[in-house]
Amino acid sequence: MMSATASHGRAVMLPSPSGALQHQQPSIGSDMFRLRRKEPRGLRLIVAATAKYKGTKMREEKLSEMIVEKVKEATEVCEADVRSEECKVAWDEVEEVSQARADLRIKLKLLNQDPLESFCQENPETDECRIYED
Amino acid sequence: MAVSTIYSTQALNSTHFLTSSPSSSSKQVFFYRRQTNRRFNTIITCAAQQTVVIGLAADSGCGKSTFMRRLTSVFGGAAEPPKGGNPDSNTLISDMTTVICLDDYHSLDRTGRKEKGVTALDPRANDFDLMYEQVKALKSGIAVEKPIYNHVTGLLDAPELIQPPKILVIEGLHPMFDERVRELLDFSIYLDISNEVKFAWKIQRDMAERGHSLESIKASIEARKPDFDAFIDPQKQYADAVIEVLPTQLIPDDNEGKVLRVRLIMKEGVKYFSPVYLFDEGSTISWIPCGRKLTCSYPGIKFNYQPDSYFDNEVSVVEMDGQFDRLDELIYVESHLSNLSTKFYGEVTQQMLKHADFPGSNNGTGLFQTIVGLKIRDLYEQLIANKANAPTEAAKA
Repeated sequence: MMSATASHGRAVMLPSPSGALQHQQPSIGSDMFRLRRKEPRGLRLIVAATAKYKGTKMREEKLSEMIVEKVKEATEVCEADVRSEECKVAWDEVEEVSQARADLRIKLKLLNQDPLESFCQENPETDECRIYED
Repeated sequence: MAVSTIYSTQALNSTHFLTSSPSSSSKQVFFYRRQTNRRFNTIITCAAQQTVVIGLAADSGCGKSTFMRRLTSVFGGAAEPPKGGNPDSNTLISDMTTVICLDDYHSLDRTGRKEKGVTALDPRANDFDLMYEQVKALKSGIAVEKPIYNHVTGLLDAPELIQPPKILVIEGLHPMFDERVRELLDFSIYLDISNEVKFAWKIQRDMAERGHSLESIKASIEARKPDFDAFIDPQKQYADAVIEVLPTQLIPDDNEGKVLRVRLIMKEGVKYFSPVYLFDEGSTISWIPCGRKLTCSYPGIKFNYQPDSYFDNEVSVVEMDGQFDRLDELIYVESHLSNLSTKFYGEVTQQMLKHADFPGSNNGTGLFQTIVGLKIRDLYEQLIANKANAPTEAAKA
């Protein structure tokens, strides 16, 4: 529980008896709350912010290629009539694929979750589940 | 969670199993047995779990959005895709919540939409009948086989089994579009991003991609705008809470979209939902916390609170412009807001810190998303407590 005096802001770290906040340290400046998590005892696997499985890497590349393709297509289609249905649909596809690409990036970078994780636990021998090596 | 009450009634002939729903909307199971030695039979009724349904309208993909992560985090546990299923599933499951992406109810896949000339925003690309049936079923405690729309391939994949959760969140473009689905929602939220901010965010999202340029990003937003304005935007009048994200007013001509002005517009009179307020409920307040007690760096923080009218509804609006960059700013602000539905002092701050690396953690988007999460928890607990009391009252009567 934080004490009430903490609300009278001084530019110092709050006394935080509450266990949940013990390992945070605020930093001065525009860098928000750089979290330093307590490392658990023993080995901790550092997971890089890139795909772990070949299947995921392939998916990332495929999505990036699709974006190039679809942007090109949309630009061409819209040259004729920028307000046509075809033009709207073409740019909507670009948006859909861009969002899918971004979602994959967020999953891998922010959440350290590879979408193939669970599938590959069950089927480690498939080609998709080969560990991607840089 | 089941609640049971036992009552007595007259003797009946044989063993039966019936289901019926009398006055209350909960599913009740009656079974009785003839007992010759006894003067009366006992009937046991159990109200099956009632799922609380939350709707979230957002144009930023599904289920992976930070809003969902913050929301599920308030209830504890991380939300993950269903294990062992389709890796392209959009669904997220945690202990208490299941988040369903409404894109799964597309009636037309990418090819189909191209042929018909409709965007995903168009209601004609979505099966509202199926959406209604399945949300209704889940709400009544019945599992459903829900289709999967694969955003990578653009195809509709084989369905996945969804068990009724305690809290069901339906997220997507059209949660409040269909009236029948709207009636099923216990609470609804609309995330309203202004055009300038949308542009800035999409630039941040897409500029690293080979295929994109400023022009393509702009063109994509412009092309989708007519359908967006026609079909998606009108839903905000139905929302119980709207989170409006606008460019800051603290920095003249800022167009980077980094500093944001965020408004939390809360409808008055919604059951189990008490709006957040600043200092004095129902009054108009303008508050700059930075000063003698709190030092902030540029551009600082500014709060506003006032009652207002939004699409003919009475609302209360709490607004934050600016950025947090220190822990003590956040806790200071939290200590001055009222009706947060926190369970302990500092809970909002703690939740924000848990996801400090998520976008929006240093401004009103993260703050209000977290607060809405706490409000939903509060609503859920009240709803459950209310349902628990109802059968006991019926028995007493």
